[in-house]
Amino acid sequence: MADLKLVAKLPEVKSAVLTDMAGGFLDAVREADGESVAAVTGFLMSTMAQAGEDLGLGALLGISFAGPARACLIVVQGDSVTTAFVEPPASITAVEKAFDTSLQGR
Amino acid sequence: METILQAILDVTGVSAALFFDGAGRLVCHRGHAIYDRALCEQLSGTLVKTIDTVELQQEDWETISARYADGKLLLRKVVAGAAGRHVLAVVADTTLNPSFATVAIRVAANKLRKALGGGGASSMLAGTAPPSASQVPPPLPSGSSPLPAGSSPHLPAGSRPADSGPVLASSGLSWSQASSVGLSRVAVADPASSAFLSRAAKGLARHVGPMAKVYVEESVRRVSPEAPFSLALGAKLLEDLAAQIEDPDDRESFRKAFAKG
Repeated sequence: MADLKLVAKLPEVKSAVLTDMAGGFLDAVREADGESVAAVTGFLMSTMAQAGEDLGLGALLGISFAGPARACLIVVQGDSVTTAFVEPPASITAVEKAFDTSLQGR
Repeated sequence: METILQAILDVTGVSAALFFDGAGRLVCHRGHAIYDRALCEQLSGTLVKTIDTVELQQEDWETISARYADGKLLLRKVVAGAAGRHVLAVVADTTLNPSFATVAIRVAANKLRKALGGGGASSMLAGTAPPSASQVPPPLPSGSSPLPAGSSPHLPAGSRPADSGPVLASSGLSWSQASSVGLSRVAVADPASSAFLSRAAKGLARHVGPMAKVYVEESVRRVSPEAPFSLALGAKLLEDLAAQIEDPDDRESFRKAFAKG
């Protein structure tokens, strides 16, 4: 399971939510409505996994979406999923790299 | 349009590119043989659900990216005037160069926007007045293969069935300020009404999950079938939405949340 507090220490991460693969809420940092975020993340994971299955792209590893003011990074780590809201959106690559390297497996 | 998609397909690692409208109807596609029309239509339908869900979290999204073990799926929003929201989707394998792909997709999105008859970028469109109803998407360029009649609102005028103009116009619904809150298939009277609907969708999502936005859209159509939704119908809408919540405690909690303002 990902250490959510470690994720939230990244200065670009404004809030983060930890869920299980089905969208069940596990933990949140600086997020007032973690359960709502968890539900959305769960549904998003399910539809994107379906799209990947249709296309033969294999297991879903993560999703990100970005707008003019903020971005969101959803990363699958084992049997848990971390959703991190990132500001500014341009920092999403750095946060993604942090997940892939130093945060992975901790 | 297929020429535009072909340019994306020329980027190393790209397997397919497809372009679909806000209702998930495939406008055109290009790709390797396995990505046939049936698969792309199925994918469009799945991706529209994904997009509706993303809009619950971030109404002003511009790009969505999904990373898989064996490839990537990249989406970019294309907002084009009266044609409304469309989406360009690119399927790629692991050899994709993300930087090259980003540039190619941005270029293609701009060209597609122009081909649809839209002017500004999606982010530039926010806050501007709704486009004129007289704006009609231009015919497809010669050489591109039009879709079967009725499958797209962008067919050449001559081949378009009488009732198949812009989908939103023919459905009695229209793009409006609501598009900035993700409730893109309902019309609202003013920004305050739009904000109210957004709040209602978020409040309802706590009880019914990601389908909340769909319920709000349906509810708006019930309580205000003829005219754009306005705040005067707020109480009626909330009662209609509350009826969608099965659990009596949750229903009461939803009502109380709005009573508090």
